[in-house]
Amino acid sequence: MNAENVKSQMRKGILEYCILLLLKKEPAYTSDIIQKLQEAQLIVVEGTLYPLLTRLKNSGLLSYQWIESTQGPPRKYYKLTSEGEEFLGELEQSWQELEDTISHLRNN
Amino acid sequence: MKKTLTVNLGGTVFHIDEDAYQLLDKYLTNLREHFKREEGSDEIMNDFELRISELLNARVRLGFEVITIENIEEVIKRMGKPEEIFASEEDSENKEEQKAPIYQETKEATDKKQLMRDPDNRILGGVAAGIAAYMNWDATAVRLIMILLLFIPHSTFFVTITYIICWLVMPQAKSATDKLRMHGQSVTVENIGKTVTDGFEKVSNKMNDFASSDKPRNGLQRLGDVVVTIFGFLLKFIAILVGVILLPVLLLVVFVLVVVAFALMVGGTGILYHLSPFGSDVLAGAPLPLAIMGCIGVILLIGIPVFSLLYAICTQLFKIKPLPVPFRWTLLGFWIVSLILCGIYVYQMGISGINTLPWYNIFTV
Repeated sequence: MNAENVKSQMRKGILEYCILLLLKKEPAYTSDIIQKLQEAQLIVVEGTLYPLLTRLKNSGLLSYQWIESTQGPPRKYYKLTSEGEEFLGELEQSWQELEDTISHLRNN
Repeated sequence: MKKTLTVNLGGTVFHIDEDAYQLLDKYLTNLREHFKREEGSDEIMNDFELRISELLNARVRLGFEVITIENIEEVIKRMGKPEEIFASEEDSENKEEQKAPIYQETKEATDKKQLMRDPDNRILGGVAAGIAAYMNWDATAVRLIMILLLFIPHSTFFVTITYIICWLVMPQAKSATDKLRMHGQSVTVENIGKTVTDGFEKVSNKMNDFASSDKPRNGLQRLGDVVVTIFGFLLKFIAILVGVILLPVLLLVVFVLVVVAFALMVGGTGILYHLSPFGSDVLAGAPLPLAIMGCIGVILLIGIPVFSLLYAICTQLFKIKPLPVPFRWTLLGFWIVSLILCGIYVYQMGISGINTLPWYNIFTV
């Protein structure tokens, strides 16, 4: 048992939630998502994200369209589907519960 | 000065150094290998390529025309080594195992030279080319010597048999790693790169064992291919024919041996007398323990090879799994013991003593 392991497990557990949260505010390019997640220290390497995004897209939570770029080839522009919003709602609720539990445990 | 390649990565053209190309190609291949089981693997790989192309493009816009191996290393560091990407997908318990370097495996240099058949320079099986690579000789010289030896009386048979045994025993150098080992070069990314671009690397698995190199074959080599194909077919045909003919005979032999062995076990020494109709002069002068020992020895001496042969034929004809290796070693051990037993028997009784064995006549009838 080591702390790094547990920490990375925790981060991994909320990764999907964070991605959906990011996209709820506004649609974004993959590279923007990566940048934000890296700032938040949620992911270390970019490679982790591509399979994840594809999985989310395949399960209907995300959709994307190709947007022309001034520099280089067109890029994927991800946004939340209505199904994704529903899903996010559930996650938010569950997060709220977790938060309550933790603060409850902390304060006692 | 370095040679560069032109690649299309995610729809953008890049000039890329050869070593950088090798590294990138290996990286992408490893990722593809990992994701191939997943739904939408093409899409994932496409995303990877697009992103890498984006990162490299940023580099090019700064005025660096050619992508170097440092650029690729940087990109890989940013995207994550395969083991980093995969580790974050697995459970934490598996994490340690996942860290086994996947794409760096080629970096561990094994300098030991290995004797392998060389599929690229072969005419028949690549034995001569393999020996030449191993000894650092010229393949043509090795072949000339072999052909000369073929014309010397008495050695023809020996050379042919040796060649066939070598063909069977020497593994074929299939991968780039194998080929480097064959030449005794250390297995590094750069060397692999050399091998790949030299067209050594086997590209497709669909081609059969005889033609597992994509190097164009010259006239003599093609003639060799034809010979190999014909002989291979003949050999298979003969093996099946012999198998079909031999099968009942061998089965009978095994049956008789089993019966004799069983009788010996159940009846003990007394059975030797019961078997006397077969061996007219049973035990003539042979002490009983020695006769029993000789009996067991001969049963195993004949029985084990017959059984092995029978089993081998069956594996070919009926798709039975070959015997497990430990079992084979045990059989070999027993056979050697039986050989020793027979040796002692013959030593004690003389060659003629064989026919004092009670069931000797079964085989001579």
